[in-house]
Amino acid sequence: MRVGRTKSVCVRSAVSLLCFGLACVVPQLLAKKKDKDKDEAASSAADQRRALHAMNRLTFGPRPGDVQQVMAMGVDQWIDLQLHPGKIDDSALDSRLEPLRTLRMSAKEIAEDFPDGQEINQVMNGKKAMPSDPARRAVYQVQLARLQERKDRKEENKEKEAVKNAITAAIAEKNNNESSAKASTTTAANAASDAVNVTAENPAANGAATDTNGAMNSAATNPATDSGATSNDNSMAAVLPTKATPEDQEQARRREEQLYTDLEVQQLPSLPPDQRFKKILGMSTAAQVALADSLRGGKGQEVLTGLAPKQKETLLAMNNPAGVVTNELAQAKLLRAIYSQRQFEEVMTDFWSNHFNVFVDKGLDRLMLTSYERDVIRPHALGKFEDLLVATAKSPAMLFYLDNWLSVGPDSAKALGIPAHPGPYGYGRRYPPRPNPGKRRDGLNENYGRELLELHTLSVNGGYSQRDVTEVAKVFTGWTIEKPAQGGSYKFDPSMHEPGPKFVLGRRIKFKGEGEGLEVLHRLATSPQTAHFISLKIAERFVSDDPPPALVDRMAKTFLKKKGDIREVLNTLFHSPEFWDDETYRAKVKTPLEFVASAVRATGAEVDDALPLTRQLNNMGMPLYGAQPPTGYSMKAETWVSSSALLNRMNFALALTSGKIKGVKVDATQLAGSTPPQSDSALTLSTLEANLVAGGVSKQTHDSIAAQIEAAAKNGAERKPDNKAASRKPDSAALPPDASTIAGLLLGSPEFQRR
Amino acid sequence: MSITRRVFLRNSALAVVGTAAVPSFLARAAWGAAEPGTRTKRLVVIFQRGAADGLNIVVPYSEPQYYAMRPSINIPRKAVLDLDGFFGLHPSLAAFQPLWQQRQLAIVHAAGSPDPNRSHFDAQDFMESGTPGVKSTEDGWLNRSLHNLPQPLPKTAFQAIAMGPSIPRILSGVEPAIAMNNINDFSVGGRNPKPSPAATAFEAMYDHSSDTVLHGTGEETFDAVKMLKAADPSKYKPAPGADYPKGRFGDSMRQLAQLIKANLGVQVAFADIGGWDHHVNEGATEGQIANVLRDFSQSLAAFWTDLGDLGEDTVVVTMSEFGRTARENGNRGTDHGHANVMFVLGGPVKGGKVYGRWPGLDQSQLYEGRDLALTTDFRQVLGEGVARHLGNKNLSEVFPGYENQPGKFLRLLG
Repeated sequence: MRVGRTKSVCVRSAVSLLCFGLACVVPQLLAKKKDKDKDEAASSAADQRRALHAMNRLTFGPRPGDVQQVMAMGVDQWIDLQLHPGKIDDSALDSRLEPLRTLRMSAKEIAEDFPDGQEINQVMNGKKAMPSDPARRAVYQVQLARLQERKDRKEENKEKEAVKNAITAAIAEKNNNESSAKASTTTAANAASDAVNVTAENPAANGAATDTNGAMNSAATNPATDSGATSNDNSMAAVLPTKATPEDQEQARRREEQLYTDLEVQQLPSLPPDQRFKKILGMSTAAQVALADSLRGGKGQEVLTGLAPKQKETLLAMNNPAGVVTNELAQAKLLRAIYSQRQFEEVMTDFWSNHFNVFVDKGLDRLMLTSYERDVIRPHALGKFEDLLVATAKSPAMLFYLDNWLSVGPDSAKALGIPAHPGPYGYGRRYPPRPNPGKRRDGLNENYGRELLELHTLSVNGGYSQRDVTEVAKVFTGWTIEKPAQGGSYKFDPSMHEPGPKFVLGRRIKFKGEGEGLEVLHRLATSPQTAHFISLKIAERFVSDDPPPALVDRMAKTFLKKKGDIREVLNTLFHSPEFWDDETYRAKVKTPLEFVASAVRATGAEVDDALPLTRQLNNMGMPLYGAQPPTGYSMKAETWVSSSALLNRMNFALALTSGKIKGVKVDATQLAGSTPPQSDSALTLSTLEANLVAGGVSKQTHDSIAAQIEAAAKNGAERKPDNKAASRKPDSAALPPDASTIAGLLLGSPEFQRR
Repeated sequence: MSITRRVFLRNSALAVVGTAAVPSFLARAAWGAAEPGTRTKRLVVIFQRGAADGLNIVVPYSEPQYYAMRPSINIPRKAVLDLDGFFGLHPSLAAFQPLWQQRQLAIVHAAGSPDPNRSHFDAQDFMESGTPGVKSTEDGWLNRSLHNLPQPLPKTAFQAIAMGPSIPRILSGVEPAIAMNNINDFSVGGRNPKPSPAATAFEAMYDHSSDTVLHGTGEETFDAVKMLKAADPSKYKPAPGADYPKGRFGDSMRQLAQLIKANLGVQVAFADIGGWDHHVNEGATEGQIANVLRDFSQSLAAFWTDLGDLGEDTVVVTMSEFGRTARENGNRGTDHGHANVMFVLGGPVKGGKVYGRWPGLDQSQLYEGRDLALTTDFRQVLGEGVARHLGNKNLSEVFPGYENQPGKFLRLLG
């Protein structure tokens, strides 16, 4: 591994030398253009453009030197290599992913280590034992304490609400009774509003007050009515001064305890890591809760310094168990996009994850998504479409996301209340219609059936009807999840399956349990509509927002001929003239993910912590795994070109290159080349242009930045260096915009928004 | 008489703005937003994405069928907030009750898109393009509603605004529109009163760019950034009593109110709220639908309070791509259905009434035997807003292929 790293460093420095060399040479080349062999230059430029175009489409953007490497290898060979990711060594990425432990866990292990509300509830109700492992125990303890606190608060609020309602009713009553006497109404209202003001402090006393007015709708809704206060027909103000002193004492005691635990937590970072962790596991639950609270919203990170990955995860899980899993997943996605050598596999994994979208925040899906991407999507990303389709259909993540796990045949044994007969002949026969359909609790859920047809296979114009949706839903009844809350696994439950034949897209499907679903999936996977729809979506991702129909048709033909072999469809695409057409070059606007990943790659940045980058994507409207609707994210420009989006991109570009994104180190000065004198901003600009924006920027972009450099230089000469760009770097105070600002402007330029 | 009252309201509103914030007043004059006497009429459209369950939102509590079809997720008679003896609001819509009583809130039931499509994506697309069943429409009806206004106000970068990270379908088209996720992030290189050097460079790049897609957006963006800097909406805090709930939708409405109060010339605006697709465990008086309805109604009620006198010229319309099945499904949820309910809130609204014909919930009355039938086309409601509030009478352009005759309006605007 060490050898590998050293080698890559060598390559990188060689590459940057090469880039620098190119950058220095380019202007002279231009000057002497007439003397050079024009043909040779043109053909090399065309090669470079070809290599760049291939990288733009098959990767998350070129890194410094990548284009030259691809040219050296030959574009076609490189594409072929990317189509066979198994042949590419990716160990450098693997070691970057090493600390993210949840990536390698099963959903079951995740459920155990990172419990959600349901699990904690079970422990609280005594249905599940407290874990014995001390680290896990700490996580559970904090969640339990928080749950208890929430429950207490809810009770309290309920009481307050009841009291408030009672008082409002009391006022209304009183107003009605005394409507003739204006003065007394006012008094009552005043008194009542005073009463409302103190309810927060003293609910019991006010509960008594409402009782006296006899305006309670239902005594049962107000626990305070049992407080034993005697009836009193006078003004409600009479009970106001009452104070419950034991409560005050309790509060004071709690406050003192809080102070002590806070102090304990504050001292933690000063301990050496191992001692610190041990101490945390041994702390009182109150102190553990205080520690967990201090980590809220990504704060208080010093306490994590120096801890082993597993220890870090434990502490983060004490605060937010679900967050650990989803954050690691999102970080991994960015790290892969930025660092994987198997770039094309990542692009396709992203493509299929989006096509078969699952929303991470839908309940238990947060447990299942890690395995979904790792075990369902990635292994099939370049394989057969039918395998991928079946794998998604059987994945707990999809079954949960589109509710199919709950779908029950209306005439199934389960719906009829007949005990399940797991034997082979137990579920095959028709049952009589149910005696009382009104009381039905279990039934069909169409969600998956519809999206399977509309989004996964045929497309919305694929020629199916509402009846087909319902019938497909019946076909998939029984495709469910065994113990979903514990991570779950796919199972076919015959007792949930709708008996009898089904009619899908004009054809009869014989009753055969689980086999019906496989038959439908096979038909869908081999349908010409599906071939066309999938080809169209792939072409939209790799060619343009509105790809040439003739190309899509040829891809669809390959799809059908090669039995849904995705690699073959891509081969057709990459060897088509349309893909290499001038019109296609830079025709796609980057999505936020593509933009962020490509910017980080272009700068050759070192990412220690990808979490801050994932937050940038939230700002840009593309939270990773965060598309709620089953459509996933759009890949088209119109979605991603807007005022907000552009400003976010510009600000991100400036923040990235000036080192303001936490966890990401960019050396803009090095990118600009260390040899040329810093004062030569024009040279810095041309060097950065060559290094950062493969394919170069337009004259307008170049001129705009050059003009800014000139203006700043003028300013700097006239006034002493209070200009913002200069003051950031005290040692180069008198200089015009520094390399990092120029780099930021380039990454925010119109040209860098395209690929 | 009503004119006098309105002018008075308007002037007093200006006076308040004027004393509290002189620069914005000057900025307004500088941008030439409104001459004295012309007023910015605003149409705000809210999309409930995911197909809201209209039958559990405005509940036909006098229909025995309703209770028969929803044994576990109905809103009990005694829990609804009665509207007219037949319909009642879901209890989480308590924030709407005062608006109803003040007759500023109207309801149209059994309304929506006539297209039978039950795909979220397509149905939303149709309601945003304003052309159900026609996929080739390239722009959105809210954008088209600004075409050829009889008395066009001076164009400002903020005339059409979407609260969110991207321009939704409904606002795409030839009229400039901007998307804004967060007012505070809407600048380049920090919020200084003067543009940063980086901002100047970016502006020059995008202004002169030959990239047709990015150039236009860039131009609109920098105009908006400059205007926003001059108006400084951060000083418009929510009015007393305007308690926006925490969350994305509350934030959207709070910021939209800020932009309107900052007098930036907002004519049409759009915001959306998700989380309505309750296939499983929808809940009834408590649960999923109750939570999202609370967020929805409290945000809108806070927006209304916040606008104060500016509400006089504002109409808010809500919609959702389709309703949900009349019967609950096997998972205490509902599947994709047909007709739905729309809310219309605003100064000119003749509220306190449920408009539209109620089709009934008997088996024979249901659409395709499963869903609430549609009796009011959503374009009839929106057309009235466009024609009678914004003043754009050219409805055949805003809603091509739909015959929207003024005589057929529900007349829910006064």
